[in-house]
Formats: sequence, C-alpha cells, structure tokens
Amino acid sequence: MNSSNQKKRNFQIEAFKHKVVVDPKYADKTWKILEHAITEIYNHNASGLSFEELYRNAYNMVLHKFGEKLYSGLVGTMTLHLQEMAKTIEAAQGNLFLEELNRKWNDHNKALQMIRDILMYMDRTFIPSNRKTPVHELGLNLWRDNVIHSSKIQTRLLDTLLELIQKERTGEIINRGLMRNIIKMLMDLGSSVYQEDFEKHFLEVSADFYRAESQDFIECCDCGDYLKKAERRLNEEIERVSLYLDSKSETKITNVVEKEMIASHMLRLVHMDNSGLVNMLIDDKYEDLGRMYNLFRRVPNGLPTIRDVMTSHLRETGKQLVTDAEKLKDPVEFVQCLLNEKDKYDKIINLAFSNDKTFQNALNSSFEYFINLNPRSPEFISLFVDEKLRKGLKGVSEEDVETILDKVMMLFRYLQEKDVFEKYYKQHLAKRLLSGKTVSDDAERSLIVKLKTECGYQFTSKLEGMFTDMKTSQDTMQGFYAAYAAELGDSPTLVVQVLTTGSWPTQPSITCNLPAEMSALCEKFRSYYLGTHTGRRLSWQTNMGTADLKAIFGKGQKHELNVSTYQMCVLMLFNSADRLSYKEIEQATEIPSSDLRRCLQSLACVKGKNVLRKEPMSKDIGEEDAFFVNDKFTSKFYKVKIGTVVAQKESEPEKQETRQRVEEDRKPQIEAAIVRIMKSRRVLDHNNIIAEVTKQLQSRFLANPGEIKKRIESLIERDFLERDSSDRRLYRYLA
Amino acid sequence: MTITGTSEKAAYQALKASDWHLEGAFDAFYSQPQPKSYTDARRLEDLYNRYKDAYADMIMADGITLLCSDILVDHQDIVMLVLSWHMKAATMCEFSKQEFIGGLQSLGVDSIEKLREKIPFMRSELKDDQKFREIYNFAFGWAKEKGQKSLALDTAIGMWQLLFAEKHWPLVDHWCQFLQARHNKAISRDTWSQLLEFAKTVDPQLSNYDVDGAWPYLIDEFVEYLIENGIIQKGQLSDWTQKH
Repeated sequence: MNSSNQKKRNFQIEAFKHKVVVDPKYADKTWKILEHAITEIYNHNASGLSFEELYRNAYNMVLHKFGEKLYSGLVGTMTLHLQEMAKTIEAAQGNLFLEELNRKWNDHNKALQMIRDILMYMDRTFIPSNRKTPVHELGLNLWRDNVIHSSKIQTRLLDTLLELIQKERTGEIINRGLMRNIIKMLMDLGSSVYQEDFEKHFLEVSADFYRAESQDFIECCDCGDYLKKAERRLNEEIERVSLYLDSKSETKITNVVEKEMIASHMLRLVHMDNSGLVNMLIDDKYEDLGRMYNLFRRVPNGLPTIRDVMTSHLRETGKQLVTDAEKLKDPVEFVQCLLNEKDKYDKIINLAFSNDKTFQNALNSSFEYFINLNPRSPEFISLFVDEKLRKGLKGVSEEDVETILDKVMMLFRYLQEKDVFEKYYKQHLAKRLLSGKTVSDDAERSLIVKLKTECGYQFTSKLEGMFTDMKTSQDTMQGFYAAYAAELGDSPTLVVQVLTTGSWPTQPSITCNLPAEMSALCEKFRSYYLGTHTGRRLSWQTNMGTADLKAIFGKGQKHELNVSTYQMCVLMLFNSADRLSYKEIEQATEIPSSDLRRCLQSLACVKGKNVLRKEPMSKDIGEEDAFFVNDKFTSKFYKVKIGTVVAQKESEPEKQETRQRVEEDRKPQIEAAIVRIMKSRRVLDHNNIIAEVTKQLQSRFLANPGEIKKRIESLIERDFLERDSSDRRLYRYLA
Repeated sequence: MTITGTSEKAAYQALKASDWHLEGAFDAFYSQPQPKSYTDARRLEDLYNRYKDAYADMIMADGITLLCSDILVDHQDIVMLVLSWHMKAATMCEFSKQEFIGGLQSLGVDSIEKLREKIPFMRSELKDDQKFREIYNFAFGWAKEKGQKSLALDTAIGMWQLLFAEKHWPLVDHWCQFLQARHNKAISRDTWSQLLEFAKTVDPQLSNYDVDGAWPYLIDEFVEYLIENGIIQKGQLSDWTQKH
C-alpha cells in the first residue's frame, strides 16, 4: 500500500451488505386483509372495520410496488360480489325485481364509496401513472358489465321499464320514485348506457304506441277532440321526462309524439269534414284554432299547411262575396260585409294565431286578391264612405269615427285601381258638399288627411281645393249681401257656391230658364263677382242646385218644399198657370228632356211627394201628359224633401263612361312615367321598361303591359323614343 | 349578254372565272360593284323632257305611264319601286327633275334602251337581303301621303302584297285580312319596319315567337288573331296565355 493512496480515500456510502427482504407473503397477507374488508363492506358489516388501518395497508401495498396486485385483486373481488348480487336480483319475482335492483345498486354505491376512500392512495398515484381506470369509474363499469348487462337482467330490466311506462300511459299509477332511481342509475353509468339500454328502445316503443293510438283516434274523433288528446299526450310526455327521465330525452320524445300524432295526420286533420280547419274558422272556434296553431308549429310545414288552407278558404269566400249578385245590389252592405270579414279574421289571428305576421300577410294578400276581382269595388267603397259621412256617423263618438275611417283605409290599401276610387270619391264628395249633407266636417277632413298620408299630396290636392271653394263661397256670399243689402230686401235668398273648374268633377254645363226672380238675382251676383274677380268666367250649373219653396195648397195647407233647381223651375211655372202640358213645360224651362222626365216623375208620381198631379196617372211621362198642382197634397211634415242629388250606384252606361274616362286619364300618366324613366336611363330594354313603369304607377293603378307598349309606340311616333338599330328590343331616349 | 346587258368582254371574263358555269357566272357578275358608266348629261336632259309634265317641272302620272310603256314594264310592277328607290323619290307617282336625272345617273344609264337593259339587274337587287330591307323601308315614306305621318291602310296592304310576293312570307294574306277586320287605321312607321323583322325572324308556325319580344302591339294582336282563328295551334305558344 502506497501512502499516496491512503490520502485519496473517498467517503462512500455503500448499500446494505445484506438485502432487506420484504416478506414475500407480505403482499398476500395485506391483500387478504383488504379483500376481507371489501367483503365485509358488501355484507353491511363495515362498522367493525378500521378505516385508518385499511388505508395504511393499501398505501403500503402501493408503496412496495404491489399496486398491480392490489388493483387486480380489487377487480376480481368486486366482480365476484357483483355476480352474487346479480343472482339475487335475477331471483326476484315480478314487481320486486326493480326494487331489488335498486336496493343492490344503493348498496354497491355505498360500498364503492368506502372502497374508494380506502384505496385513495392507489387512486391518486398508481392508477394515473399506469393508466388504469379510477376506482369509482371501475366500480360503475363492473356494475354495468356484471349486473346490468348480465344476460338474465339486461332484457328483463328494459322490458320492465317499458311495461311500467306503458301502464302509466294507459292510466295506471306506477312508482315514479323507483323509476327515477333506476333511470338515474342508467344515467350514472354513462350516457351511452342510458341511450343504448333504455332510451333508444323507449323511443321506438313510444313511436309504435303513438302510431297505433293516433290511428284509433283519427278514426273516431273529430278534429277538435283529436287535437285535445294530442295535446294531452304531449304534456304527459313532458311531465314524464321531468319526473323520471333524463332531460335530454324531452326533445326526442316530443319529436316522436309530434311526428306520430300530428305530422302524420296533418292533412287529414285539417281537411276533416265538419270539424276541420275550415269549420273552425267559420265557427270562430278560437280555442281549437289556438290549439291547432300551437301543435302544428312544432312540426315541419305545420304552420304553412294551416296558412295555405286558411288562404284558399278566405279567397274562396271572398270571391263569392264579391260576386254575389244579391250583395252587389247594396254597395254599403257589400262593404260592410268586407269589413266584417276582415274583423273576423283579425280576431282569429289575434286570439288563436298569436298575431303571427305570416298569417297577417296571408290575410292581406287574400283580401287584395278578391277585392280586386270585382271592378266595382273602388266605387262601392266610396259609396260606403259617402253613406257614413252623410248620415251613418251621426252621433258617433270621435274615437269610433276614427276607427271606422281607419278600417276603410285598410280596404282602400288593398285596391289596385286607386285612381278609380279617386274619381268616384270626388264625385260623391262634390254632391255631399253641395247639398250640405255632411255629418261632420272633421270626419271629412280626417279622411282626406289619411288619404294624403297613404297616397301623397297629389291625390288629395284637388279634394282640398273643393273644401277651400266652399269656404271661399261663404265669404263671397257675405260680401255680396253686405254690398247689396238694401236692394235685396224682398228678393228670395240666394246662396251661391263658386266651384273652381279643375278641382271639381267635370260636369257638362247645362243651363235652363230660371224663373224671373231668380235670374235677376243671379245676374246681380254675376256682376258683383266679376267685379271683384276680373278675367274669370262663371257658368251656372243648374243641374246641381237646390231650392226651398214655400207653398200653399188648395185647402190652405202650408208646406216648405225642398227641391232641386230643375224642380223649382217647373213648380214656379204654376204660379201663373193652372194647367201645363209636358211640351209647354219643356219649352218654358229648356231643361234637357231626360232630366225633365225624371224631374216630373219625382214631382208627380211618387207617393207622399206628389205635389203635382198628372193626367193620365201613369208612371211614365208622355209627350202629351198634362200637369196640375195637386190641391189635395198632404204630408204630416211641414218640410217636405222632394228628390235630392244623392250619390247612387251608377247605372251601366254611367259606369262605362267613368271607366273610359279613367282609362283616358291613365294614358298621360303612363307616358309621363315612360319619359321620366327613359330620360334618366337613356337606353333601356323592353322588359325593364315595363317593369319600371309598372312599379312607378303601382300606388295608383295596375298598369297593363299592353297599354304600356302602346304608349311606347306612340312616343316612338312622336320622336320621343327610338328603337336601337342593332337590337330591336332596346329603346333609346331622343333628347 | 342579253340578260345582263353587259359587254362581250365582261361576259367572257365572268364565264371564265366561274369555269363556264352559267349560274355561277351570273352570281359573280351581279355581286360585283357595277362599273360607273359614263352618262351623257344632254341625253338625260332630253329624256327628262320627254316625260316631263306639260304644266309642272316634274314627271307626273302621264309621264310615268309613258316611261313604263317605253321600258316595257307594267306601272304596278315592283321594279318601278326599285327604280324610285334609286331615284330617292320623295313620293310615288311623281319624279322631280333632280330625282329622275340623279337616279338614272347612279344606275349609269342615259337612254331608254340602257334603262331597259338594267331592269333584270334591278330585279335582282330585291334578292339581296340588305337591299331589300332598304327598299322595303324606303317604300313606307314613298307610299304615304305628303305631310302625313302614317301610311293609309289600303296603300300599305297593296305595298305589302307587292313586296311579299318577292320575299315570300306565308302569313302575308292573314296579316292583310287581320288588318282589315280589326285595325282599320293607318300604319305607323315603326309597325311597318318591325313587320319585316317579324317576317324574317319568326317562323310561320310562330314557334319562336317571344311574347316579351318588344314587338309592336299590332303584331301581338295579330298573333292573338291567328290563335283565335285556329290558324296557329295554341300549344306552340305555351307562354302566351300566362303572360297576357
């Protein structure tokens, strides 16, 4: 040995010279302890065990690298115990089966918890690092594999559950708490277990059940009842889910019910005789309709089905309404029916269809469709308004007036030929204003404002002009009487309305011979007026005026007669003659013959208004007839109204004339639109011009493509437009 | 040479070029631009004076009758229309001096014989699509009354029958019947020119008639008339009823 070596001796720690041998039986022994404990736990004998000791044992096993043994032991033991439990469960009879299963499940869970606590060290160390299934999960899996999926249990479990549900569906009471626990067990075992072992089959069986039930129901129930039943079943299933199934099943089971009970029979229900959708609509069955709406909205194409049936029914009824000859005799009645129909459906959509916009739209398009089927709709709506403003709205509150006018506006919006309405409205308004027969100026104005809002200033400017004329005329009359007060003391009272030609409906200007007193007075007015308004021209519209006459009859009866100007001219003749023939009257008054005949008829042939007597007493006016004052005339009223200028539904020839005028008026409007469009676009093809023009004129009337074409050709003739030389479908604007 | 009125040399060239095929020679000859032949101003003047009206400085009806008989053409023959077109005549049944002389000059003729020889050429011009269209559209202005914007219906019908005898259109008779039964008004220029397009592009069974084809309204009405009277089967125009 060198002395240098001695100096370099390092300090070393050496391993034990003899191995520390762990008792090979140590692992077995420890395991046996634990195994025994597990058995005790499963036998409900856990109270005698020491948690601390068991924990330590498990801990040591893992520490000394016996984790694998511990784990596989656990698996083995637990499996054995579970197999025993399975046998007990299998042995249970009838109703006790589920109870036993439930009991054993609870036992297992309790045991599992304790086991897991004991083996927690392994759970946290050995298991994750060796990628083994954690204890709790392991316990569930083993339960699943050995109990639930045991051949004698699996099918029986499912069948039992389904049987119970079936019983409940047929009205029996079942143990819901137990159901809940069992289902919860399946859920705890994993969603795939719940779905595969229960839910999948549950849905299939339910589908069969409801398919059969719905078939039965539909054979024997009417629509309303069927829907009640369907609704009930739906609610039942929802309740079932909330009470003892997984909430995720709700959508699935409701889909099944919806499909089998509603979707499959949708059309049959809707079209059911005597009780289907159409009947419900007709009878205003709000509850049934609401139920149908709520159920059908759950299925694909449900609401469109309801909507389509409603639409075609509405169109059909609407069409019948507007083509019903009886209804057409009375325009006011006609429009009232339309309003009633609208109200009815508004109510249905409000109460039963929860104000669904798509239904509202369907309603609107249906109304638009059938209102325009009858070309007289614009005229009739105007007549309806006329009746209301003339007397119908008398005594009605301001609010209610607004409501009625708003409803009328609604119908107005549906009209395609708004310009036709305008024409009639003007005529009727003129008559109302001139005869002073409007119930409320405010109501008149209110409607004009609504029309202006809807259609723009142009639509109502002339109408407003009419009101202005009336006001101005009042002022003029005041001025006239102030100026001539002295001279006019004894003369009849004259009231003149000066009408601006452009604003009022065009009338042929017919004059007749006024009685001397009147013509003198009229001349005075004319010179007064032209004195303050030089450059204007006045023409008397004798066919539009009225007069009040005081008359004394043969026996001294005094009456005040309210007559038309023509009637006045005729009656005044009898101040200087007792007998007049038709020819003499015609000559003296120069009233056009058709008007004269009507006038004489109203004076001589109408009961209660016959201030004249005619020989012969026939209804028709013949050339040779003679007229006398009817000295025997009586009436209970002092004031007698004979013949007014009331707005009436037009006769056929009048209607044709108005229609023609409307068509004529449209031509310049179409041309103006074409020019406007071409001016900005310069070049445009045929189809696009038609589309643009139609769109521009839509708010007034529906332009006819053929008419537009004619106007284009007319504009080509007049060198406003030309065809493109290479593409004949293109039009070019010529500056 | 007798037919084309040309010189022996030109005829020989044309025949040689087409390998001595007569038809081909004609085609080749007529499609060449006509050489501008020298015309004698004095001769033209004399010719004009021959036909000039006694009281006005124009050729009027009598002069035209004489002209027609000189060139052995009926005065209703369509070749007179072609001649008028060459003359750019403003209105039918009269030629101004400028029109007459100008027209003959552009044709390269200064005598009756030469004019007569030009007749086959003028007839051939009607076979050319482009020229036919020009002549057709010219006819409208020429046939209508001075100062009128539209063409009187009877005149229009006469012109159409004349023109469509050359360019065969099977529906021409129906068209004229339709106008007389339903329209009874003058014909606008647009309608006149569009009718030729219609006859050229739309087949007689109307199978390619497009109802949105921007045809004048009168033509749409004509189609309706044909269907109503069963002349055309409805099935061939499936879109018609839906669009109108």
